[in-house]
Amino acid sequence: MLQGRPERAVKVMPEPEVLNLPLRSRRFVFSDVSVEDGQRVSSGDILAKDPNNYAVPLLAPRAGLVRLKKDENAAPAAVDASRGGGHIIIDDVANLEEHADIAKEELEHIEREMGAGGIKRYKLLVLGAWQFFYDAYTGALPDPQGTPQAIIVSTVSLEPFVARGDAQLHKRLFNFTRGLEQLQSLLEYQPMYLVMPDIKSELANRIRDHIRGYAWAKMLEIPLTYPYDDFAILARRLGLRRDKGPVWAVRTEGVLAIDRALTLTKPCTVRIISIGGTGVNSPAHIKVMPGYPIDKIRDTYVSEPAARMIDGGILTGEALGQEPVGIDTECRGITVLGELQDREFLGFARPGWDRSCYAACYLSSLRKRFRERFTTGMRGEGRPCISCNFCEEVCPAGIMPHLIHKYLYRDLIEEAEQARIDLCVECGLCSFVCPSKLDLRQEFIDAKKLIEQEKEEIRQEQERQEKLRQEEAAKRSAEEKSE
Amino acid sequence: MKILLKVFEAVRPSFEGGKLRLFKPVFEALEHALFAPSTTTVTAPHIRDPLDMKRFMSMVVISLVPCVLAAFYFFGLRMAAMILVSYAAGGAVEVVFAIVRKEDIYEGFLVTGLLFPLILPPLLPLWMVALGVAFGVFIGKELFGGTGRNVFNPALVGRCFLSLAYPKMMAASYLEPSGALAGRLLTYIDASNIDAISSATPLALANKGDFSSLPHLFLGSVSGSAGETSAIAIILGGVFLLLTRVANWRTVVSILGSFVLLGGILHYTSPQDVGPVLWHLCAGGLLFGAFFMATDPVTSPTSNAGKWLYGILIGAVTVLIRNFTGYVEGVTFAILLGNIVAPILDEIIVGVRIRRLRSEG
Repeated sequence: MLQGRPERAVKVMPEPEVLNLPLRSRRFVFSDVSVEDGQRVSSGDILAKDPNNYAVPLLAPRAGLVRLKKDENAAPAAVDASRGGGHIIIDDVANLEEHADIAKEELEHIEREMGAGGIKRYKLLVLGAWQFFYDAYTGALPDPQGTPQAIIVSTVSLEPFVARGDAQLHKRLFNFTRGLEQLQSLLEYQPMYLVMPDIKSELANRIRDHIRGYAWAKMLEIPLTYPYDDFAILARRLGLRRDKGPVWAVRTEGVLAIDRALTLTKPCTVRIISIGGTGVNSPAHIKVMPGYPIDKIRDTYVSEPAARMIDGGILTGEALGQEPVGIDTECRGITVLGELQDREFLGFARPGWDRSCYAACYLSSLRKRFRERFTTGMRGEGRPCISCNFCEEVCPAGIMPHLIHKYLYRDLIEEAEQARIDLCVECGLCSFVCPSKLDLRQEFIDAKKLIEQEKEEIRQEQERQEKLRQEEAAKRSAEEKSE
Repeated sequence: MKILLKVFEAVRPSFEGGKLRLFKPVFEALEHALFAPSTTTVTAPHIRDPLDMKRFMSMVVISLVPCVLAAFYFFGLRMAAMILVSYAAGGAVEVVFAIVRKEDIYEGFLVTGLLFPLILPPLLPLWMVALGVAFGVFIGKELFGGTGRNVFNPALVGRCFLSLAYPKMMAASYLEPSGALAGRLLTYIDASNIDAISSATPLALANKGDFSSLPHLFLGSVSGSAGETSAIAIILGGVFLLLTRVANWRTVVSILGSFVLLGGILHYTSPQDVGPVLWHLCAGGLLFGAFFMATDPVTSPTSNAGKWLYGILIGAVTVLIRNFTGYVEGVTFAILLGNIVAPILDEIIVGVRIRRLRSEG
């Protein structure tokens, strides 16, 4: 139990005067900017697209005047199309009537090309609802025109301090069930799984009643223990196989966005995010739009002078830079964590009523659950692995982190691959419990990236050779002909 | 405390790049023993569990307190000298290696240095204590690459070396505990000021058909290695260690289980050769070995299935050595044998697990 859990109530933040939209987020790089400096946009207009992710758009959340800003700190070469640093700033922000940025003739064209199902998918994409979809195995954006083998809808998000499903569902149950119906209409016969913490609860019954006759969803109960909400783990639990096609996954906010885009045909620009953590005086859920200045949130909520702002939850989030400007399009919550300030005297010898520990090595294990106050401190020195096996015990993916660590330490990439490093879901629990303070999560992420790169290189090399062979064959056949 | 921290800050430059940079590990060990490190997390997860290696190892030290107190009670203040010598000699080896390797001084030695005197006969000359622990740390740990990479339990390597190199001295250094109520808490007994030097251990006597009484074994008022005699003190500390999850219960349960099972079967088939199980359980170093030696996470198998097999092997081998070889005490050798087998067991279990993982997702 952690101090700083966000309340369920959703608070609306005051309208901003300036929006500062970052051109990057966790998955996307909006390098294809389609507006000019000084252009006036209305809300719902497409500001930029990510060419590598099925042209997923960055929408203007409000009307205003556009100002482009390149990343000053980054080298000029880094601001090019591939990196897409910088921001789009919208001045004179006004909350005017939103409108959908889909031209009529374009819609007709698409309908003719792809049919009614195609138009729905197109709408999801351009209205900003598609970015709430995840591929359950890779976490990347799935192909909007693809066919999944199943869809997982999760109403729970268990990582400490990110926006929770119950807060988002509060008072929006009708929109949620309507979104489920819309989602069902995208599918042909593929199953839809609805993940809930308690499938016999009143809420679950009400959802069942609502969607009866319109959508069919199989309910799946999971324990409220992090990280059982991870999509890859859910897919494995459901017995879905990776080689049988992609599995799409959506969270509560995604279903609400689908409802908004398809039922109302309105752009999805407002998100509910959480603001929580030990450095916040009144943790809550807040309703903001991408680009909302983080300074403003900080002034309202953060009580500690020295605190680290984290984009996302406390176990997988990324620290926001020194000068965070605006919320990005994928933000699910902001966690504020107090920085380590004092060095504890004889910290390891304390009885430890105030710190809970995985291995029951402190007196707090005699206590009931309590709210612990965390800081960014490492709380120990880095040491070699002593094979205590704690990481294997907590690993939700069922792999052996200590073994993979030892392989990677000796540069045995192939063995690490055989030990199924690819099943790692990057939940961060192994790094958290490690008494030797090894940074296992980061190590695995880097290794996985390296493996991906190598595979890509091998694939390209094979393609090149294939091409050469074909050319040679063509040449030979041409020679034979000329003879 | 702030003054102390200032002192550390003031002398830091001379250890980091200054004249005394050779002794940087010593400085850091001292600093971090008193003050928690100031490092913070860089990437996610941004918070960390409070358990660190210092706490991990101090839990073992805490759990050894009942054994140490029992040793003081039964064998006198000489224990203090043995513990001090063990820490000093082994610590010196550890520090020298840390300086040579330019690494930190690791906490694992806190445990080895305390375990070692507890598995020695209480009247052993202090130079032998020093030699044994230095040998154990040097050969058993540092040559393999230091903490986390050693194959054998360093304390057991030291003891094994002593009992092979000086068998007579080892056998002659056992001491009959005092029958007085205050024990020997206030006396310092050395080989020079006691007449009856040699006192056979219960296992040696049992070899001649003379079984000491079980209550004595349970309380510890028998001859034997300094910290191994009192079953109740060992169980007290050992259960604490299991509850804190620093030691894995699977190892302990499987050692004791297989020992009781095999010992029981042999006792019922040939009672004249093999003593009663409960008596054997409390005699000698079995409990101490099972709770404190075999559970060392580095030298035991990592996987849980491996731990079961490892424990079963140790328990069974102990029964066999005790009853069918010339040695009356087999735990040291059984655990060292287990240490040899541990990497192989891990290899097998890992192979099975990886084969099972291959079909996942």
